[in-house]
Amino acid sequence: MSARKLIATLGACALLATGCGGSAPMGAAGAAAGRDEGPVKIGALHPVSGSNAVDGQQMRRGAQMAVDAINAAGGIKSLGGRKVELVTGDTQGKADIGQSEAQRLISAGAVGLVGTYQSAVSTNVAVVAERNRVPFVADVTASDAIYAHGYKYVFRVQPGSKVIATAAAQYLQQVSQQAGKPVKKVAFLHEQSDFGSGAADAFTQAARQLGIEVGPNISYDAASVSDLTAQVTQVKASGADVLAVAGYYRDSLLAAKAIASVKPDLNAVWGVSNGAFDQPKFVTDAGDLGALYFSTNYHYDATNPQTAALREQYQRTYGDPMRTGAVLSYDAVQVIAQAVEKAASTDPKLVRDAIAAAQVAPLTVGAGPIQFAPNGDNRNAMAVLMQIQDGQVKQVYPPEKAESRPEYQVTWRP
Amino acid sequence: MSETAQRAALAPEVSPPQKKDRGFLGRAGVVGGVLVVAIVVALLQSGSGLVVWQSVVTGLLTGGLYGLIAMGLTLIFGVLDIVNFAHGALLAVAMFISFGMVQATGMHPYLSLVIAIPVLFLIGAAVHRGLLSGTGGSSLENQLLITLGLSLLLENGLLMLFGAEPKTIALPSDFQFPLLGAVVAGSRLYAFLGAILLGALLYWLLRRTRLGTAIRAVAAHGPGAELVGINVRRIHTLTFAIGTACAGAAAALAGPLVTVTPTLGEQFNITAFVVVVLGGMGNVVGALVGGLLIGLVEQLTTIYLGGQSSLLGVFVVFILVLFLRPQGLFGRRSA
Repeated sequence: MSARKLIATLGACALLATGCGGSAPMGAAGAAAGRDEGPVKIGALHPVSGSNAVDGQQMRRGAQMAVDAINAAGGIKSLGGRKVELVTGDTQGKADIGQSEAQRLISAGAVGLVGTYQSAVSTNVAVVAERNRVPFVADVTASDAIYAHGYKYVFRVQPGSKVIATAAAQYLQQVSQQAGKPVKKVAFLHEQSDFGSGAADAFTQAARQLGIEVGPNISYDAASVSDLTAQVTQVKASGADVLAVAGYYRDSLLAAKAIASVKPDLNAVWGVSNGAFDQPKFVTDAGDLGALYFSTNYHYDATNPQTAALREQYQRTYGDPMRTGAVLSYDAVQVIAQAVEKAASTDPKLVRDAIAAAQVAPLTVGAGPIQFAPNGDNRNAMAVLMQIQDGQVKQVYPPEKAESRPEYQVTWRP
Repeated sequence: MSETAQRAALAPEVSPPQKKDRGFLGRAGVVGGVLVVAIVVALLQSGSGLVVWQSVVTGLLTGGLYGLIAMGLTLIFGVLDIVNFAHGALLAVAMFISFGMVQATGMHPYLSLVIAIPVLFLIGAAVHRGLLSGTGGSSLENQLLITLGLSLLLENGLLMLFGAEPKTIALPSDFQFPLLGAVVAGSRLYAFLGAILLGALLYWLLRRTRLGTAIRAVAAHGPGAELVGINVRRIHTLTFAIGTACAGAAAALAGPLVTVTPTLGEQFNITAFVVVVLGGMGNVVGALVGGLLIGLVEQLTTIYLGGQSSLLGVFVVFILVLFLRPQGLFGRRSA
């Protein structure tokens, strides 16, 4: 077989693979029968199979725990104590499947949807929710683009990527000043898709306003990268005093390995929406390599006793620490359930209006109750600074959410 | 080296005749020249010798790993004409075997080679006997779909058994040492040396043993080999098993370098295919050299394009090779 034939066949294969995706059937029937009787249904869309299944499973459980808590407290009182039921869909992490599953849950009578973990999936689910006039409260969805469309039925609990990146720049300036080593130049290492470069752009903008120089800006392909030594060497050569990293789990672990071997002349390693630096698993996997890494991200509120109780219950039931995503799902279900309570109705339009006016106490870090801006974003969503200290991820800044003081240093330079 | 390298091509390629052939040394010279220019340009671009030097070192070390993975793939392709899409998934299976062994017994990760290689050899033999040998006469697309299906099956099987959570195989006593300013991780160096050693071993096997001669005979002309009394089916199965065992070796050597996930194979599959085509399909030594080149190209692209997808540079080289020398750098074209 010649090389050309091989390529032709490979090409055909690629076409086949994309063709298989197909597009989901688009039912327009939104109003479903059965909303007025039986339990009040809330739809949960998460990737419980596929490569993000662990997080998807966590989030579905988080949503279920919120439903169980509401039922244990007597259900929806304004509707005569009607129980709440979680109806679930598996997005498999794919946008088209998320879309058809959203349609299915709406047809099954869901008064609202929560989900979905991946921004690409949420983008499609948002369209379905808007068209069917059923509220969709995103738990984990970083992309800001969805909230620039003027949707009326789409909300979000977590802080958007811009909020996180801006906070990262501000916290960096404040913490470095307090440590007596004010930051001058930040090198930014990020994966190259919307997530990483969006974080880098927003961070750069915020940092420049604070008088911090940002550069070099080094990106890499998260799917194919197998070593980041050369990139970290570039950082070392640039003379930056802080390295900011926005990546997913696998590549951030590679970055930690590269940083440990190159040992650039840094004061701190600073995660921005980083998918690894605040994970308990990273602490185990990276060990000493990741010690004292900072991370600015959304987080379950470690200073809130209610959150602690919920996480303990989760740990007891499932034998696994409850992640932030699951706590956000819990918050999102609370938002919908309290809106149904307030509206005293299961009409999605009335529920939507109640959500828009809602004030819900979050179990994730927030600057106040969950409260939505006109674009659907949570006004009080807040990013918190964390650091790996003594083998644990601790909230260190701002002071009112801190469990511990930030230690502004890197391990290889005492 | 010129003659042997050319004869190392296992499968004669059918490709349009070209006007002239520079010969092996000529081609190596051209490739070397292009590389030197590329490095000089990179030097001008980055303005830092250290950055370029580190890129070259990292590129070569990573490239060894690519070569190692591509060797098994190219062997299978050269002898059986099978585009084995399951190669990456089999690699992932071997990684999990290695991970499992290290977890369960606390053995040294490299010791898991002793288990990963024979187990993958057996899996390879079973896969060929059970799934592929029956498709001998059927179209290429059939075999392709079978291996593609197998890779899906393996990946999802791993997902079911081990979950999607990324795992790491830690090398106890991994070390770093400076090489003229660049940093080299011990684990990476071992993988590189392992790749060279394994390439030499495979080369020796194909050149100097009866089995190797039989494999080359089957690759060159199946019916002819059958006529002189070679059991072609057996050779096919053995070759597939050896190729798969290469993935096993690559997995055990690369384990400490990567984060182990069930979908890990995808990460290497595309690169390995490019390496195979670059090195000349069916050419084991070509795969190793192609791997080194692709590793370098990937790292240098990072310097040129400020770190946009390094695959971009890889594919540019890939397309150039397809245009200029579709039989690959070391492939032999039919006279």
